[in-house]
Amino acid sequence: MADGRSRAAELYREYGPAVYRRCLRLLRDPEAARDAVQEVFMKLVRDMERLEDRPSVLPWIYRVATNHCLNLRRNAARRGEEGGEAALELAEGRPEADAYPERALAQALLERFDAATQAVAVGVLVDGMEQTELAEALGISRRTVARRLERFLEESRRFLREGAR
Amino acid sequence: MSQRHPSALSLERHLADPVGSPVRDHIALCARCSEQLEEMRRQGEEFLRTVYPATVEAVEAAAARRWLPSWLRVPVLAPVTAAAAAAAVLLLLSPAGDGLPPDWGGGVKGFGGVGLAVFGNGGGGARLLGDGEVVRADAALRFRVSLPSPCHLWIVSVDAQGKVSRLFPSEGDGGALAAGRVELPGGAVLDGRPGPERVLAVCTPGPLLYAPLERAVQVATAQGAGAVRALAKLPWLPEGSGQASVLLEKR
Repeated sequence: MADGRSRAAELYREYGPAVYRRCLRLLRDPEAARDAVQEVFMKLVRDMERLEDRPSVLPWIYRVATNHCLNLRRNAARRGEEGGEAALELAEGRPEADAYPERALAQALLERFDAATQAVAVGVLVDGMEQTELAEALGISRRTVARRLERFLEESRRFLREGAR
Repeated sequence: MSQRHPSALSLERHLADPVGSPVRDHIALCARCSEQLEEMRRQGEEFLRTVYPATVEAVEAAAARRWLPSWLRVPVLAPVTAAAAAAAVLLLLSPAGDGLPPDWGGGVKGFGGVGLAVFGNGGGGARLLGDGEVVRADAALRFRVSLPSPCHLWIVSVDAQGKVSRLFPSEGDGGALAAGRVELPGGAVLDGRPGPERVLAVCTPGPLLYAPLERAVQVATAQGAGAVRALAKLPWLPEGSGQASVLLEKR
């Protein structure tokens, strides 16, 4: 379908940079980000109408790209590949990040949590998002964000204090 | 200036709409955020310069594979029922071509090699109507199409109120299997209400159920008379589809 193809190309030009930046931030590797942005956008164009919905498109892109890239990190870490272990720098000036005992969020720690909790931890601690903003982006309630973050902080402190068993 | 820096998502929103950005004041006074924005712009340029050209084709192909929006997708891919299959009739076969055949005989040349001719009853018999021609609001019409290859054909019309009328085939679903130059049996009588009426011939490689087609036409003309007049091409048809349309002004 020529129309669908050309519109997809236009939307890719418009929103591809945001996806690319997101992938760079989470994967910390331009080559991996380059592959990931294409894969993420191939998912996004399955729902082209949603891509046209300007007010909600960026949070949706954020969610899809975050889940995809965290998944890539998990898979790379399990295979012992370079990049899978790359630590994520914490956001500055966030009280939640201050409550976290390390300056970087380690993959070994992230892996102890389910995908949904990982997304919350990255959103708050790495991206510096307000809990309300993150709840909107992830399509969950603010209370769920708070609960998952609390659980993450509690368990990560214990893990860092006692080490992996 | 707030001590809390905007999140990555807030900065993305700022890049997309700097004028309406709620973090504009913070950024204007914050060297750290300004630097971060500069870095984001640089990454965006890098994407457009190196990543986009190398990957856009794969994204376009994914969009083409998707080929129908969600509200149009499910019924089309469902198996054709026995009744629909029985209703599909091969009307006429002729050698396939890329464009209209030399003996096309007039009408509107559309997309994908599809042509549509609409005839109205005049004083001296049937007369070929031009695109945008004024006709009696209750005129009787007949149709002829030219199709480049065998396909599933629908003829529908839509008016300024968004009412979609099913003109051909009158029974069954999925569209009638047809090819070549086809004089369609029967015809249609306009409803007597003044205003624009667009007749569309849609030719799809596989069966296309009526309900999603009707919905596609309604969405494309949802803005009323202006949209009916302006509709050059119905979007969201399956890849390989052809179409043609004729606008009539009912008086």
